[in-house]
Amino acid sequence: MTAYIARRMVTAVFMLLAIAFVTIALFFGASKDPARAMCGKPCPAETKAKVSAYMQTDQSVVWQYGQFVKGLVAGRTYGEGAQQVECAAPCFGYSFPNRSDVTSLIGERLPVTLSLALGAAVLCLVVGIGLGALSAIRKGGMVDRFSTGFAMFGLSVPTFLVGLLVVQVFGFMLNVLPFSGFVPFSESPVDWAWHLIGPWMVLSFILAASYVRVTRTQLLNELSAEHLVAMTARGASPRQVNRHAVRGVMVPISAMFALDVTALLGGSVIAEKVFSLHGLGDLLLSGVNESDLSIVVGVTLFSAFLIIVGNLVVDLLMPLLDPRIRRA
Amino acid sequence: MPDPVLQVEDLSISFTTGETTFDVVRDLSVTLDGGRTLAVVGESGSGKTITGRAIMRLLPRGAGARGRIVVAGRDMLAADERELRRARGADVAMVFQDSMSALSPYLDIGAHIAQAVRLHDPSVSRRAARARGVEMLERVGIPEPADAVRRFPHEFSGGMRQRAVIAMALVNRPALLIADEPTTALDVTVQAQILALLRELQQEYGMAMLLISHDFGVVASAADDVLVLYAGREAEYGSLRDVFEAPAHPYTAGLRAATPRLDARLDTGGERTRLRAIPGAPTSLRDAGPGCAFAPRCGLAGQVGERCVVEVPLRSRRTSGTTGGAHRAACHLDRLPSSGEIAR
Ligand SMILES: Nc1ncnc2c1ncn2[C@@H]1O[C@H](COP(=O)(O)OP(=O)(O)OP(=O)(O)O)[C@@H](O)[C@H]1O
Ligand SMILES: [Mg+2]
Repeated sequence: MTAYIARRMVTAVFMLLAIAFVTIALFFGASKDPARAMCGKPCPAETKAKVSAYMQTDQSVVWQYGQFVKGLVAGRTYGEGAQQVECAAPCFGYSFPNRSDVTSLIGERLPVTLSLALGAAVLCLVVGIGLGALSAIRKGGMVDRFSTGFAMFGLSVPTFLVGLLVVQVFGFMLNVLPFSGFVPFSESPVDWAWHLIGPWMVLSFILAASYVRVTRTQLLNELSAEHLVAMTARGASPRQVNRHAVRGVMVPISAMFALDVTALLGGSVIAEKVFSLHGLGDLLLSGVNESDLSIVVGVTLFSAFLIIVGNLVVDLLMPLLDPRIRRA
Repeated sequence: MPDPVLQVEDLSISFTTGETTFDVVRDLSVTLDGGRTLAVVGESGSGKTITGRAIMRLLPRGAGARGRIVVAGRDMLAADERELRRARGADVAMVFQDSMSALSPYLDIGAHIAQAVRLHDPSVSRRAARARGVEMLERVGIPEPADAVRRFPHEFSGGMRQRAVIAMALVNRPALLIADEPTTALDVTVQAQILALLRELQQEYGMAMLLISHDFGVVASAADDVLVLYAGREAEYGSLRDVFEAPAHPYTAGLRAATPRLDARLDTGGERTRLRAIPGAPTSLRDAGPGCAFAPRCGLAGQVGERCVVEVPLRSRRTSGTTGGAHRAACHLDRLPSSGEIAR
């Protein structure tokens, strides 16, 4: 097992390095010159060259990549003399427009994204599994018909539409929920939750749809499964049989959940935009808008890192839930 | 004489879907003593599995059973949930039609067997129960049983899995074993081995066995008594010899003629005997008309005339040529003509 984990870790590191390279190459090659945005207006060629040299964007992609990796391990220094800036290891790059290293930018935004992601994940789990289980138990009943419609809607409607609807209905028409802003949990837990209910509803609505469907089909499969009839034939009580059915549902749900949580932690661009929340999604978007290569690479890598960790967690978790895998 | 292990009287099974209720099995009556095997034969959909499940009160949602079922002295249709739990797996056990889907994918074989033990005797430790599993696997002829208990269902071959589910069913020494097509999914040599194993364990434990099959060859090699079902009703019931050597129902005769026999070439001096399929498709109790359900496919209906189409034949006693036991058939003809005349 230890060897397995070590092997997975090494693979993960190489994957992250590859992702970093692709991101740098893509963005570096395709976008406007980052130095152009920084040099102001008017921007004579001479000044621009200076700025370029200072931001170290005048070098080749491969050189950029090498510096980036070096920064991760040993930190990085831009410019010299009075204009010198230090970016301590692990350096994900330095954002010149923000005059801040990307690591601390991500750190600033993380509480918002974390609050958003965890709340939405919990809500989605409760609603998704609850509705899915109820519709499987009373198949064809009211709840089932409602949740089938709910799931269809959730799967087909884009996030921004749901977001705007929620803002419109709860924010403007009913005027019961705030529709923008963030209050840190440490300041006031009640206000924190109050401000996040809207985005939680939006994100969990979109996500819950697939949980409803998976829970429903999986539980229906389990409820009619021959191996549960066989268990009854061995003398098991309905309670014992149901406990067993739940296990069959939990295996795929846990895998899905771990991956969804990591995706949420990477930031939700649209939900953050609609509710004016300054999380990682918003940071990424501003990076793109301002041709801030460092931010784009940093946030992308951070999300990729989360997803790789999420996959690792799933792979380590599954053998605990499904003993068949333990043997392989 | 001791009471029979299984007594079924006028068992009917119905399904309710929405507003409609319909029977899929009607008026079955059988008796089975310990140490004996009753084979239930019939085409797909004739009601074999549902009958076996009714005996354990394991009917799917929407299904109900009427009549009387007594297993080892317990009235199964009158029993409450707790009594049923006590009976299932201890007095009466089942080997399911599809061994793969009847096993939990998340449990190894040892856990299955241990579960069967501990559900009926919680005082047994998990360890001791698994040790019983190893013994049982050894008894049913699984090599290296100490390793085999740790294997998962998908890691067994079909034949070995069948042995394992037999071990599971027999670990509590049930008085009655219901074996639903225990050999259907296996190839012929393995089939013979599994049947021999079942026979052997049956003798050892003195248990009664309800052997569900659609294969007359299997029936001939394993059964003492035979119940032939057609569209949810008894077509013929009697000892193996009576039913085989003097079939009293045209359907039974047809089934026999449609069964390949390994010894056929010897019997006829090397000449090939032709297999005769029964013409037409099987029906169900629900779709059958007012008369005999087999009439549309019966080569002899013409001889009897209109009666076959309008009147359900009652099962009636036949003179038993060989054993003197009960031999009944549900046919308007009192005696079948010899096999040559049956062909349409
Ligand atoms: N859940 C159900 N709802 C409605 N009808 C059912 C249900 N289960 C079984 N039946 C009907 O009951 C009848 C008997 O089914 P059963 O499974 O006992 O057949 P069988 O003799 O075991 O066939 P096979 O050889 O294919 O296993 C069939 O006509 C089938 O259509
Ligand atoms: Mg069947």
